[in-house]
Amino acid sequence: MLSNKTKLRTVGILVASLSPLMIASVASGDSSNNYGPFPVTVKGYDGSATNSVSYSGQIARHVLHDSLKKLASTGDGGSNAAAVEAEMMAYFAGSDKNKTIVSPASKDDYQIKQTLMNSLSKGKKLSNKSYKGVINGWPGQMTGPEVLEFMIKKAAMSKGGFDPLTGYNYPQLISKFAMGAVFYNQAVDGYLDEKLAADNKPNGKPYKAGKHYTGKEHVWDEAYGYWGAAAHSLNLSAKQSYEVAKKKNFAISDANGDGVIDLKSEMTFAHAYYASSFDKGGKTNYLQTVSQAFLDGRKLITSANGENLTDAQRAQLVAYAGIIGENWERVIAESTFKYAGSVYKDISKMEKMLDAGEDVAKVFAKYCKHWGELKGFSMALQTGKGNLGETAVKLNRLIGFGPVLLNASQVTGIDSSGEYMKDEALSWGEYKLHMLKVQKLMIDKFSVVARSKDQTANMEALAEKLGGSDSAEND
Amino acid sequence: MWVFDLFYDVFEHFSDPKKRVFIGYVFISIGIAFLWLIVLKKLSVRQAFWKVFDKKVFFSRSSKSDYSVFLINRIFTLFISPLLITQMAIATVIFHLLHKIELFDINIFSNLSKIWIVLFFTIFIFILDDVTKYFVHRWMHKWPILWSLHKVHHSATKLTPLTIYRTHPLEGIVFSLRGAFTQGVSISIFVYLFGNSVDLMTVLGANIFIFTFNVAGSNLRHSHIGIRYWGWLEYVFISPAQHQLHHSIDEAHHDKNFGASLAIWDWLFGSLHHSTDVESLTLGLDGTEHDGSHSLRTLYITPLKEVIFHLLNNFKIAKKYIFKFGIYIQNKFFALVKQ
Repeated sequence: MLSNKTKLRTVGILVASLSPLMIASVASGDSSNNYGPFPVTVKGYDGSATNSVSYSGQIARHVLHDSLKKLASTGDGGSNAAAVEAEMMAYFAGSDKNKTIVSPASKDDYQIKQTLMNSLSKGKKLSNKSYKGVINGWPGQMTGPEVLEFMIKKAAMSKGGFDPLTGYNYPQLISKFAMGAVFYNQAVDGYLDEKLAADNKPNGKPYKAGKHYTGKEHVWDEAYGYWGAAAHSLNLSAKQSYEVAKKKNFAISDANGDGVIDLKSEMTFAHAYYASSFDKGGKTNYLQTVSQAFLDGRKLITSANGENLTDAQRAQLVAYAGIIGENWERVIAESTFKYAGSVYKDISKMEKMLDAGEDVAKVFAKYCKHWGELKGFSMALQTGKGNLGETAVKLNRLIGFGPVLLNASQVTGIDSSGEYMKDEALSWGEYKLHMLKVQKLMIDKFSVVARSKDQTANMEALAEKLGGSDSAEND
Repeated sequence: MWVFDLFYDVFEHFSDPKKRVFIGYVFISIGIAFLWLIVLKKLSVRQAFWKVFDKKVFFSRSSKSDYSVFLINRIFTLFISPLLITQMAIATVIFHLLHKIELFDINIFSNLSKIWIVLFFTIFIFILDDVTKYFVHRWMHKWPILWSLHKVHHSATKLTPLTIYRTHPLEGIVFSLRGAFTQGVSISIFVYLFGNSVDLMTVLGANIFIFTFNVAGSNLRHSHIGIRYWGWLEYVFISPAQHQLHHSIDEAHHDKNFGASLAIWDWLFGSLHHSTDVESLTLGLDGTEHDGSHSLRTLYITPLKEVIFHLLNNFKIAKKYIFKFGIYIQNKFFALVKQ
């Protein structure tokens, strides 16, 4: 039978041969691929709006998240803890003040249009939109918002967001978990789930009285907003979308050429950014697949022209939502895979350095950073629409509550006063084995393809080189 | 569509330099045969031509059944091979195990120069592959249940390069498992000890040693061209004539020359036999080529029946021992009670 690799290769050749066409469409700035503007279809609307697309609330939450991550590393080890915590909470749980956008911020000749939160959307916060279920991957049996608040308090007390006694890197933990608990959860478990039902936010009515968009238009747009892709992302290559997020390619980011980057439509955020990071490797096409499904769904809703969707239309929309959910989940699984590989490599490096009697402080900090990303993504993976069941249990057990530290201990829980408890951990060899198992779990359960930092890639390459072991002949 | 997969599989056997019957190796073998016949056997080009392309060999009943079995087995392989354990599955288990037992530090030898690591790996896998082939082949002859299957290969009364595919599908499974085991072991241990520098030295994508073996006329092992080596060389490498002798019906030749590339395993374990003049050999199982000996029924169904017979027979023996063990335990128990 043709192997999957052969099939993949064929797809690769097809994609490669079509890429000149794709580049041509980028060069011509084909705006029909933009997510908006779309006409106003609400029946009886008599306002002045001409574009029914609106997801500025979601963009505001992306910016709150980016800013929160930045603030998480501003603690000085204790003396400014109260102030840092208050500042972080203002972005997490909301503030009466018109807060400054900490990130993304302008730099040199890379000017960003918005500098204050209210210029995006007023009164937005993350706490009320975080996954409310129990987070089993974190000690203390807390809900999503409780975990984030707990981490914020700890981050504020740390120096630069890093606690070497536990190995926790809070900017990474908060960011990677929040991306799942807020954006992914809200989109796939809300907007693309029950809100696609016929009687929930119907298309035949405005989203709210007086609004210029219908129920389904806005539901769909809000999910798109959480995905985090720039409105013109379908006109960009994965590498370009990646550069947009990294603020490295102003010309390609500034889609309307007005000399500033509008965060509402010209920036790549969160999981769309991670999708682009994997896609630029050439093995996957997550960003285009998800963004295209969003665009197709939006065009379908627009085509209903303000009428309620028929059952067939809704079924099609649910199918698009399925594509989005599946690929979004896979992006998070790819990230989990990648950082399990990074943690493995970091441990190997530290083992060698320790054997040679070298100082491992820097590598240890990097290891903890990678572990924070691994942990955050793995917890995010569990905030989706479905219960991952045994997969979640395995994932949480393999990773544990904390990284294995240099003295072979690990966080095992939280006591009644909110302090971490530590106990003897596995050996590093066994912990590395756990990382390999995490990678295997991601392959087996989520069929990840990009497999960045694959620790068994060399074995697979060798197996491929040696050829099939199924030679059924005599010698 | 499985039909396309089948077509591709057949095509791949002749176009992939990792396969023995790759068209390039076949041509080289023909060239070697001509050289042997013209230079050493003093035949004219015309005589050599009719000797190499002998109609009596290639259109014999035995060879025709080889061709059928080759094609039929492709269908079996197509459906069976996805069900078999792969070398990666075995490699992954061993790789995990090595992490768990921590007998050695991971990548302990990764500082060695890459060229040595690659050379070492390439030699290691060639030797492990060859020695496991020797033992599996030996067991195929020595164990009655396996011999029931391997007999299919030995029922060939004429040898052609395609006779290697005259293999019962169940025997094919055993060979596949051997291949998966060898590769899985080599890959996992080497990557664990030597890190990411591990690689295979290849020519046209094939292991350089396998390539050399094939370029040296491996296809002549199963042929009527009895190329013999110098006596001393036949202790190291199996010559085509030595393998042809392995197919001889003469009792003196039974269970000799099990080796694939290297003869040293036969030499070490007492099964080596130097080559003789191939013209004097009668090949096959019993020297007769009756109507049924090459029928598909004989080649596919009869071995199955024999395997079932052996299994039932072994079960009877096992039952006898279990019964004896039961009596022994019972007696011990009563002895204890009496005390």
